[in-house]
Amino acid sequence: MEEIIKDLASAQEYKEGFVTEVDQEYVPKGLNEEIIRLISAKKGEPDWLLEFRLGAFRRWQQMTPPFWGHLRLPRIDFQDIIYWAAPKRAEDRPDEIDPALMETFDKLGIPLREREVLAGVKPKGEVAVDAVFDSVSVTTTFRKTLAEKGIIFCSFSEAVREHPDLVRKYLASVVPAGDNYYAALNSAVFSDGSFCYIPKGVKCPMDLSSYFRINASGTGQFERTLIIADEGSSVSYMEGCTAPMRDENQLHAAVVEIIVEKDADVKYSTVQNWYPGDAQGRGGILNLVTKRGICKGSGAHLSWTQVETGSAVTWKYPSTILKGDYSSSEFYSVAMTNNYQQADTGTKMIHLGRGTRSRVVSKGISAGHSENSYRGLVQMGPAADGARNYSQCDSLLIGSRCGAHTFPVIRSRNPRAIVEHEATTSRISEDQLFYCTQRGIASEDAVALIVGGYAREVLSRLPMEFAVEAQKLLSVSLEGAVG
Amino acid sequence: MDSRVYVIGRDSVPQYFRLEAGEALSLTLAVPPGVSCRYCLEVDLEGPGASLDLAGLYLCPGAEQVDLRILVRHSVGGCTSRQLFKGIVGGTASASFDGLIYVAPDAQKTEAFQENHALLLSDTARAESRPQLEIYADDVQCSHGATTGYLNPEELFYLRSRGIPEAEARHLQMQAFLAPVARRLGDALADEIHASLP
Repeated sequence: MEEIIKDLASAQEYKEGFVTEVDQEYVPKGLNEEIIRLISAKKGEPDWLLEFRLGAFRRWQQMTPPFWGHLRLPRIDFQDIIYWAAPKRAEDRPDEIDPALMETFDKLGIPLREREVLAGVKPKGEVAVDAVFDSVSVTTTFRKTLAEKGIIFCSFSEAVREHPDLVRKYLASVVPAGDNYYAALNSAVFSDGSFCYIPKGVKCPMDLSSYFRINASGTGQFERTLIIADEGSSVSYMEGCTAPMRDENQLHAAVVEIIVEKDADVKYSTVQNWYPGDAQGRGGILNLVTKRGICKGSGAHLSWTQVETGSAVTWKYPSTILKGDYSSSEFYSVAMTNNYQQADTGTKMIHLGRGTRSRVVSKGISAGHSENSYRGLVQMGPAADGARNYSQCDSLLIGSRCGAHTFPVIRSRNPRAIVEHEATTSRISEDQLFYCTQRGIASEDAVALIVGGYAREVLSRLPMEFAVEAQKLLSVSLEGAVG
Repeated sequence: MDSRVYVIGRDSVPQYFRLEAGEALSLTLAVPPGVSCRYCLEVDLEGPGASLDLAGLYLCPGAEQVDLRILVRHSVGGCTSRQLFKGIVGGTASASFDGLIYVAPDAQKTEAFQENHALLLSDTARAESRPQLEIYADDVQCSHGATTGYLNPEELFYLRSRGIPEAEARHLQMQAFLAPVARRLGDALADEIHASLP
């Protein structure tokens, strides 16, 4: 066993680690009210949004970073970050994408050109993509098809321009500006992101997808996503992220807000593959993200699925507030850490309404010198009669120098609610490995096979395109974990 | 095996145990009704083959505030720890259970298990569980489980349909729930606990 499972010394391959040379436009380094005014002006924002940003900034200045995570965070110098970087657009051809950019997204395998997708498959396989490069959204595909159904899917900046009422109504309604340190920072400096509105009774005909990429050096990415599913509608939304390899830590502090009205159904999937740093733990993205959804009306349903393989540090707790009676939510997560990566991730399920249900399935995999924690909260409010939660958190350890931790909190104030939580920690047993190897499967493949089986419950929840990618990512991240 | 039973609020209860190689300790704690407490217990398993069998029950039917904090530290490999806690919370009481199992680097072949189950009896009662695992070794078997719920109405119906009065039926349910811990208390103490059920 000892020979088979070695510490991860060999560098794993991060194939998204390239840098694209495009002309970039920056704002000066640092953070103060002037910078915020500058960002807001560059985006041509209305006054109320500037006020919102400044309000958040003033609150942020009063706040201190959270310290409770099981993480060793490098000190972040917030004055040493460029808060806004955008690929320069030639004024004379505003509709065309820079070929270098196009190449980047091609390398990432994102079908930005609609015709490519159209040529291949029937409408069922289509995915509408909103691609965000550093601070701006470069393109959104399939706008017309979606618009026919009344669906709004565009970049956040565009939504501010064209649908200010919707943005104003819902912005910060789930994650208030002063919610936490990083959410406040995001509210002050957020650059771009996706906006999505599904009108009453509309079933979104295709998966919606956002791709986020950090390209420029010394920058941070602060995107803001707002998804609104009106009564009886449904949508499946996917998010993917990558970044180049650099020796410095780059900050990614995003906010995602999801509003699910009566009988609506939202499925939110993430494959997070930010640059994790090298084998010695240098560099990598600090992924400090606030994601929260609210099931506002009765019968609303929100499902989170996440595959976390990247980032030097992950601090992320997608949460659901189950306010509507008989609303339900699920959280499926695979978090894989290797080398010196650290992840502190989990979920919060706040049951307020009657008969609300939630289910949490979290699978942690740690290898090398990494630290992987599940942290969660399940809360049953006084009105949550008949509410039910089931949580299962499993950890898998590969190698003897890593750590796997579970920190759940269960709070009940209702004598008619049931909460169940269980967690286990184990490793790949020698018996399992022996069984595979004696059938001629190489030990590395055997580990990948066993890990794949272990994570399958979550991976099978992902939309097709993502499931394939996630499976690949898991095996790439495991490369070198066995010798 | 060293077997000890303590009633919190009545006995003087040790807050720290250290188990050397091969030592085995069976420890049972009871928090009877009317006792509010914050009790911290720390157990170090410091020699290979040491084993801890810990059980506890807490009854809070009135306005009690009970806060149990348990830390079991596996510093060396080859040790076993088991924990089982059962609580009944009613009235305006609040109970919280915070249990951490820590497995040090290289404490291989550790087996550590922890369970906490709470029953809520009233609208104004509160229960909180924080079962935690902090593990730095890979060849281990560790698990924890926590549940919060109420007396099963179907069981109650079953008993009542056989002519058992409701209050008595509820007592039977609670006794059955507590049984795995109560049977370790000895007859006299178990009877006292059963008689004090709300």
